[in-house]
Formats: sequence, C-alpha cells, structure tokens
Amino acid sequence: MTTKGVGASLPRKEDRRFLRGQGEYVANIRLAGMLDVAFVRSPMAHARIVSVRKPSGFENSVFTSEDLNGVKPIRAVSGLEGFKVSEQFVLAKNKVRQVGELVAMCVAPTRAEAEDLADSVEVDFEELPAVVDMLEARLSPPALVHEEWGDNVFLESLVDDDLAAIREKAHVKIRRAIRTARQHMSPLEGRGVVCEWNRRLEQLVMHSAAQMPHVNRAGLAECLGIDQGAIRVIAPDVGGGFGYKGILLPEEVCLAWLCRRLGRPVRWIEDRREQLSAGANCREHHYDITLYADRKGRLLGLDCEATVDSGAYSSYPFSACLEGAQVSSILPGPYKMDRYRCRTWSVATNKAPILPYRGVARTGVCFALELMMDAAARELKMEPHELRLANLVQPGEMPYTNITKKYFDSGDYPEAVRRAAKMIDVDGIRKLQKDFDSNKKQNEKNRRIGVGFSIYCEQAAHGTSVYHGWGIPMVPGHEQCAARLSPDGVLELRIGAHSHGQGMETTLAQVANTVLGIDPENVRLVHGDTGLTPYSTGTWGSRSMVMSGGAVAAACDVIAGRVKTIASRLFEVSTSDLILENGYVAVEGTDRRKSLSEIAHVWYRQPQLLPPDVDPAGLEATAGYKAKVDTGTFSYACHAAKVAVDTETGHVEILDYVIVEDGGTLVNPMIVDGQVFGGTAQGVGTALYEEMPFDAQGQPLATTLADYLLPSATEVPAIRLSHMESPSPHTRFGQKGIGEGGAIAPPAAIANAVNDALAPLGVEITESPLTPRRIAEAILNKKKSK
Amino acid sequence: MKASAFDYARPRDLRDALKILSENKNAKAAAGTQSLGPMLNLRVVQPSVLVDLRFIEELAGCSENKDSVTLGACVTHAQIEDGKVPDPTRGFMREVASNIAYRAVRNRGTVGGSLAHADPAADWPSALTLLGAVAIVAGPHGRREAPVEKFVTGLFQTDLTDKELLVAIRIPKRPAGARFGYWKFCRKAGEFAQAIGAALRDPERKEWRAVIGATGSSPFLFSQTESLLKNPDDNACLAAVDAARFTKDAYNRQLHAVALRRAIERLAA
Amino acid sequence: MKRIALTVNGKRVQAEVEPRTHLADFLRESQGLTGTNLGCEHGVCGACTLEIDGAPSRSCIAFAAACDGAAVRTIEGFDDDPVMEQLRAAFTAEHALQCGYCTPGMLITARDIVLRLPDADEARVRKELSGNLCRCTGYMGIVRAIQLVLTARR
Repeated sequence: MTTKGVGASLPRKEDRRFLRGQGEYVANIRLAGMLDVAFVRSPMAHARIVSVRKPSGFENSVFTSEDLNGVKPIRAVSGLEGFKVSEQFVLAKNKVRQVGELVAMCVAPTRAEAEDLADSVEVDFEELPAVVDMLEARLSPPALVHEEWGDNVFLESLVDDDLAAIREKAHVKIRRAIRTARQHMSPLEGRGVVCEWNRRLEQLVMHSAAQMPHVNRAGLAECLGIDQGAIRVIAPDVGGGFGYKGILLPEEVCLAWLCRRLGRPVRWIEDRREQLSAGANCREHHYDITLYADRKGRLLGLDCEATVDSGAYSSYPFSACLEGAQVSSILPGPYKMDRYRCRTWSVATNKAPILPYRGVARTGVCFALELMMDAAARELKMEPHELRLANLVQPGEMPYTNITKKYFDSGDYPEAVRRAAKMIDVDGIRKLQKDFDSNKKQNEKNRRIGVGFSIYCEQAAHGTSVYHGWGIPMVPGHEQCAARLSPDGVLELRIGAHSHGQGMETTLAQVANTVLGIDPENVRLVHGDTGLTPYSTGTWGSRSMVMSGGAVAAACDVIAGRVKTIASRLFEVSTSDLILENGYVAVEGTDRRKSLSEIAHVWYRQPQLLPPDVDPAGLEATAGYKAKVDTGTFSYACHAAKVAVDTETGHVEILDYVIVEDGGTLVNPMIVDGQVFGGTAQGVGTALYEEMPFDAQGQPLATTLADYLLPSATEVPAIRLSHMESPSPHTRFGQKGIGEGGAIAPPAAIANAVNDALAPLGVEITESPLTPRRIAEAILNKKKSK
Repeated sequence: MKASAFDYARPRDLRDALKILSENKNAKAAAGTQSLGPMLNLRVVQPSVLVDLRFIEELAGCSENKDSVTLGACVTHAQIEDGKVPDPTRGFMREVASNIAYRAVRNRGTVGGSLAHADPAADWPSALTLLGAVAIVAGPHGRREAPVEKFVTGLFQTDLTDKELLVAIRIPKRPAGARFGYWKFCRKAGEFAQAIGAALRDPERKEWRAVIGATGSSPFLFSQTESLLKNPDDNACLAAVDAARFTKDAYNRQLHAVALRRAIERLAA
Repeated sequence: MKRIALTVNGKRVQAEVEPRTHLADFLRESQGLTGTNLGCEHGVCGACTLEIDGAPSRSCIAFAAACDGAAVRTIEGFDDDPVMEQLRAAFTAEHALQCGYCTPGMLITARDIVLRLPDADEARVRKELSGNLCRCTGYMGIVRAIQLVLTARR
C-alpha cells in the first residue's frame, strides 16, 4: 500500500502557493513598460462594416484590420470530406459575424484608458439579418453567415443503417425533439495574454492562460508568417480551463503583432463582460430522435437527426465540426442495439465559434439518449434502471466493440446501475410517491419527489486514428516527457501538457515515486512552456494522466536504468540485484544503498567513478508514450438524482445525488474525486441554471453573472460517491481518463428525476436547462389543455 | 470593465454633501457602492463626481423613542442583521437583512442606499413599504418626509430630486401581538428576487398589510386587507396580483401570487 | 487624482489614485499584492473578497479613494494568522482547491464563518459560502475543510 506513489491520496504540493495568494496567473505578470489593450467589439451579430473612425490624435494607438496587413486569418480546416472552410480575420474585415467580434484594438498605459479610447472609436455598421436558431439556419436561413458557401452548414455527416426491419417489428416507438441550451464554460479566470519581445533570443514571448501552448504557437506562426522557433508560448498558473482556453485566440494574434509593432510589452486581460457577451460557445444541440424497442424493452435501434450550433467560425485547433462528428459516433452510449442511424449537421450561426466544453458532445448525447430511455420505461411501465440493466453491455462481453466500432476496454456497467439504485433507494422513493398520491398532506401538495438515472461511458486519451477520423487539424500522436536528475538529486520533469487544476505537480510526482522511488517532494514539474517542454497537443479530452503519465513513467524508466548502471559499478553488483525505493538505490537484501542525490553527484562531479559503459546522455532522458490501443480508455459512471419539484414555482431541489464511478486505477483518488465533484457541479449548472439566450437580432441576453447563473454551494448538493475499479488493460498503470466524466451525466439524471416527479401530471420536459419557468409553464399548459 | 473617469468627494457633514450635489450636474451620492460599483464598472452610470456619504456622522447613527426607530441612511445591512441597531419589528428586520445578497455585500451595503437605489428586486423597498416606514429627506430647502410607498416611484426611481439626499428611515415599533410574513423566490441563494410577498398583521393597531414586490416597478401595497390575510387562497392572491397590474405573463402572475400566499401563510408561525 | 493614506496588511501606505480605480486594481497594480483575483468586477463571484476594517468585502466594487483611512487586509496579510493556518491545512487535507483562483476570496470568507458562526452546520456553511463561486471543486472539499476547522475549534 503506497503512501506516495500511484494510488495514494497524496495532498497537493501546488496548494502551498495558492493558499497564500502566491499563484502567478497571467494577470499577475508585470513587465516594465507594459501597455494595456482593450478591444472595440461588434455590438451586432451580423453586419457589414461601413467605416471605422479612429479618435483624432490617437491614430497610433488604435488599430484595425487595415493596419494588420500581412497577418493571415485564422483557418481551422477539418480533414472530413465536405467540410466548408471559414476564414476569421483577427480584426474583422468587411463583416462581423457575432456580437463581440474584434473590430479594433486600442492600446494605452492602463486598461481604463484603453477602454476610454475604445469608447471613442466610431464604427458604422450596415446591419444584416442575424442567423440565430440552428434549425432555421439550415432549413430557412434569414442570411448566410459565409456568403460564398451557399448555405449555413459547415459539415453534414451520416452514419447510415437500414432501419426498415426494426421499424416493422418494434413494439415501442418513441420520438422526441430534445434541445440543450448554449452555455458559457465560465472558468473563474478568463483568458489573458501578456506579450514581450526577447531581444537576445529574437523571440516573441507570449504568456497566455492557455491549455495547449504548443498548438497556440503553431497557430501564431501560421497567422504571423514567422517560424515557430521565433515564438515562445508559456502557460503560467491558469485559473481553470474546461476547454475555454483550448483555442488560438484572435486576441493572441493581435497582441503578438502589436508587441512587435510597438517594441513594448502589451497585455490584454479578458473581463467577465467580454467573456459572457463574446464567448458563449458550447453545448447547444438539437436532437430529433426516435427509439425502437421490443415489448420486453430490448433496444432495437435509434434513428436520429442531430444539429450542433457551431457558431460563426471554425475555432483553431478543434474546428467547427469536432462536436458534430462526435455526436454520431457516441450517441449509442454504453448500450447494445441492432440498428443505428444518425445524421448530424454542424451549422453556422452568428454566435461565438464552438469549443469543446468538458464532456464535449457526450453531455448532449447522454441527455438525449437517457431521456429517451426513461420515456421508453414509462411507456413500458418498467423501472428506468431495470430498462437500462436489460440493455447495457454486460461485463462478460468485455472487451466489446459497439455498433459505432467503439472498443470498450473493461468495465461492469450494470453493476454501477445496481449500486446507484441501491444508494439512491429507489424503493424508498417509490413508497414516498405512493404516499403522496394517497395522502396529499395539505402543505406539501405542491412538492413532488422523483428519481432519475443516467449512465454513460467516456472514451478518453484516445489516440491518433480516432482524432484523424474526426478530421481535427491537430492530431495528437505520441506524448513525451523530458526527465532530468539534477546534481543534488532533484528530479525535474518537463511535459508539454499543462496543469490548470488537475494537480499534475503532485500526481506526476507520484508516478515518478512509483517508478524511481523518489520522494514527490524532490520532484519538480515544468509544464506548458514551448521553450522548456516537449511538444504536446495539450491538456484536454481527459488525456493527461494516461498520456503524460505514461510518458513520465517511460522517462523515469530510462533514468532508473541509468541510475542502476552507475550504482552497479559503484556497488560492483549486477543491475538485476538493485532496487529503487524511498529515494535510494539499494542492493536488494542488504543495507548497502546510495541516495539518488549521491548517484547524481557521481555523474556530475565525479565522473572518474563511472562505469565505462555508462550512457553519455547521462541523467537526462526524453521518452515518449502512446497508448497500446488507439481507441483509448473507457471510464464510466452511473449518476442518480432524487429531486423535489415545487410545482407552483417550478423550483427544483436536489435532495440526494449519488455517483458510482469507475476510472480504472486511480493515481490519486482524492484528486479524482475532486474532478468528479467539480464536473458534477458544472453538470448541475447545465441541468438547472446555465443558459445563454439570444434575441432575434443575435444579442446575447445574459452578459453579467447576475443573469448567467453559476451554481454556488447552495445549488450544488453534497454528492455521495462510490468507486469501482476495472483497470484498463492498455495503459501504464491501468488508469483511465476521467477528468470530464462528472460533467456528462447530471443533466440527464436530473431531468429524468424531474420528469419522474411530474409523470403523474403527464408533463415531460425535453429541454435544458430545466428552469423554474419551463417546468411551471409545462405544468400550466398541461392543465389548460385538459 | 473599468469605470469611466469621475471625481471623488468626501463631505464632512450634510450641508457639505448637499452643496456638492447642487453645484455639480451629474453628481452621484454613494454609500456602500454595492449596487453602484457594478454599474460604474460596467459604465452604465457615468457620474461627474461620487459623493461619499459614509463619513457624515448623522447618517451613520440611529435613534429610538417609544413609537419608532430611526435608522441613519448609512446603517449597513450587517448592522441590522447582527442586531447592532434597535429592531422595531422584534426580529423581522434582522431576518430580512440576513437574507440580502451575501455577507461581504451586507458588510458595506446600506439600508438607505438600497432604498434610494430602488431596485425592484431588492428587499428593503418591499419590506419597508410593508412596515409603513417613512423616508426622511434633506435638500436645499430643508427636510421633508415621505412614506416609503410614495418615496419609491418605479424601476430605479424615487421621488428624490438630484439635489436631495435620503438621510434616515423611521420605522414604527410594532407591539408583541404583531405578526410578519416574508417570502421571496430567487433562482439561487443571494441573488435578486423574481417575486416577493410580504404580510403584516397588527391587530392592536388594526393594521393588515400585504406587499407584492419584485414587480419590475415599485412594490405594490395593499393596506387594510384583512380578508386577504385571513383567507389567502389561490384565487384571492391571483386577484391581488391582477389588481397590481404589472404583468400579463402567466408564470410571472402565478409566481407572485404564490409568493404572496406563502408570505401570508407565514403569519401564523 | 486623489491622495490617499491607508493601512495595508499592517503597513502604512500613501499613494495617489484616480478615483475610478477600484481597491482590487489599486492593490494589484500599484502595491504588488496580486493575491486578490478579479473574476467579474460586478460583485457576484467573490474572488476579490478581502477584509476592509476587519469585515470581508468585495474589493472590485469598493473604490480605493473610498478606502482612504481604512485598514485593508489581503490574503498575503494572513500568512501568520493562526486561524488562517488552520484553514490552509484543512483546505489541503480536504482538497478544497484545484486551480486556486477562487481560493484567496474563499479563505477570507471561510475565516469569517469560522470566527463569526462557530455553531454553523453544513447548511449554514453552504449558505455563507454562496457568495464565493468555484468552478473547479464542486464545493465538497471546501465545505468539509470549513467543517473540520469548526469542529476542531469547538
């Protein structure tokens, strides 16, 4: 039982600086002579730019597209056939396509003065009809977002199948229109950039709150027309990402250009107003979905037409159709079925470019499918969890290739459901509901209880072929770690991924402890810096523990080998007699040992003692990792919610929330739990609170936190979490990617619970968030129609 | 989001403050700046000078006699919540105060600031209307008083001229037999209310009052509404909401009627 | 510009400020105290919470000029505070932070809860925390950490 290695709930090393306010977020970086930038942003969703007038006297402090000649637009081209390319000029040229699009850049000694300047820039627009609703955008567009396309579809994809047979014989045929609202990921820290020119290295140095610095560097090089070596991108301490910071920003390109132009450091820090009005970019889906089952509830198949609102441009690097492509390949979830057909449109609208938010398409497809399962259960008069048990892939069938060729590596999905049903006490809730119907205590007659389930499996840390298949222009391949033992025995690990809450400074040190025996206190992590670390596509898609963890282990393996070679000479034993533990290399079964720092001392300071066959590369090694199986790992969980619905106000109270989760081997169980809790809280936001509505002119209507509601400690319930462990056979320690899971299941579980509570009233909600207004209006409308 | 430029003045007394207001077009009185601060940062409000009232002694204090308690405009919500000032309502005002926003906001936000700002979704405009409180105003021509239900005139509107200041609020003391009810609907804890219902039964004084708040405009007062308080059934409450004439939206109507009914139901407790 | 004099973390500070500069920007930009973070600048998220005259307050909607004569204490000023030391240990033990951005404001509020409401139960703790948003932790670790300290102090 390890106390410091893989499997230990080691308290986090990085806490020390954050608890004392010593974190170095991008807004804390102060450079001499630094100037502040504010942007003039489009107040309109869709318009032609007629003219831009700079305030007189400030022509050298205000820049437009015309000034940035030579800067190429952002282009993220998917490899999928039929994909339509969009060009995004970093400062809008001729046309604006979303509220908040950059029109001009203003620079001044302080942000306040830069905003004064921005307020005095006069822009004339010729307003165009706004493309707001994704269905209308495709079927009867009021305008074209990109005129040269001829329509508003980035991409249409089809997973085809012949459903004639199941349509014939299906006893249950359920069709629904399901919609999920647009959201804003809302990390506490927004985006931000500080840029300076390093004269000695002749290099642009950009500090950016970014999840994938190497990818940002590549994009910057493309847009600015310089080589990648001329740019260094550093992600400092970052206050949350969730996907929001996995993007090459027009603001980054603008500031890079400005820094060179002025010869002075420049800074832009995104404020919450900018964030909410310009950055609501995720989760907006529509499903027209039909479920077919036999009279025993066995799933025969699914037929779906899905639409993803992809916004105005294709964001770099993920592109506008990652989410749409994912929908069709993961909608079937962890279930078995005979037939499956899914057509998906990634549609262009006058909104912010889509970015993959934690869970990506999985949250939407889980919502759609799990709501259908409950609707089927109601029709069949089956318990919803029993219907799931009848259709989930069974543990004896693992590994299992599902209908969309997903290779589920390991797991016991039905057991997760059984445990969740027990924890949430379905029987007890059914009794309460029966009592309600028969009893109707006066002061509780407006409070209905319900229970809901949702189960998903989450593909993570997937490899090259999967991403290539989704057409992403940036395909992850191998992951590397550069490891170095310093002269005093401190291990420095350099990885290109970046930790912005995941605790990698601790967890990767735990990996080093397991392989090398070194105390995590003597391990330093250097991450997310293109100047110091190996290439990486970054931190997203729940990949870091598998990929970077695997690379760290591989690099530590190499260092371990070199340490043993040196020690074998010093002890005059064979390397197979040596073990590494507690920071020492020891001759097994004896008390002869030397600390890692002693070994390092020999390498660096006393090479005369080294064996002749020592590797001249020394105590420094770069090693790579690629998962054995490209389809990645499949973690999974079953969530169950017990809710009370106030049928007069529509308010939903979560009375109990349970999760049975399986992430394989947990490197640091405490940190994994934290990821699950955090994701679940975001899921509660998706289910009940968060929505960015747009009016008919494409104006976002929730542009402050008073309107865009983020759940606080009173909205997020205490969560009861139980673990199962099915290690992945394909990763270094059996660990599975798990960072996103919590955010996938809650909207479905909570919506199912609400619908379960309202079933006696004949009310079913198929739209998220389930706001009080939506719930109460559904009840009112049902009453009226009777 | 940085505010546009403004000047800052810290008058030492009321006369000083009134002088600054009358001499500066677009001056803005400020106390806790918990509502004004965001508006300044968002540039929704762009005053020429911010007049900080917090150092005027008479606005920070309070007094009481056998009939009433008078709170200076700069008394904070936290002071009321903590019982640091006398409560003429035997705990009702303390309870209302404790559910305003968040503690950090209550530490600086003031009862006078809240009333003068007249956000329909705030608590004091509705609660003080219920309590029959009186706003005490100072201006270039001296003092005047206005019952709170007349003082608040609409969405962010009061009957203050731009040369006047709210200096204190006088609240009648309620006897032991008085009962209060307050119920508000918020999407999440501490946020602005979507509907407020409030009720007061004071048989000794023969007062039966009910208030519908968060209407998007000034709170609506029903005075002498004994029958409603005795029989707050759904139809009666819906009729009250209709009489206030502020909404045609079915959900909004229902929400306010429910808030009113639940407030009245709490009178029994 | 206004000349102000105030105490920051026990030290006397004199400066010239533009009246529109809020307290958080004053501390961050000109006093080198970057521990206080900005999350919204409209008083909702709580990241900027610090103490003004001993009471937790939002520094994004308090203006530096209005703090002339006040005593301000930021997260940096609690390095040697024993109650904060208990809270820091509890936050680490219960994994109450991930990205760390909300943490300074969260700690200031947590300390206020522990000192002002020694008998708070879980529901009360959650209510008192509702003005400090966290997007990473789901609040589980934070609530447990505060309860740990409350129990230890009883």
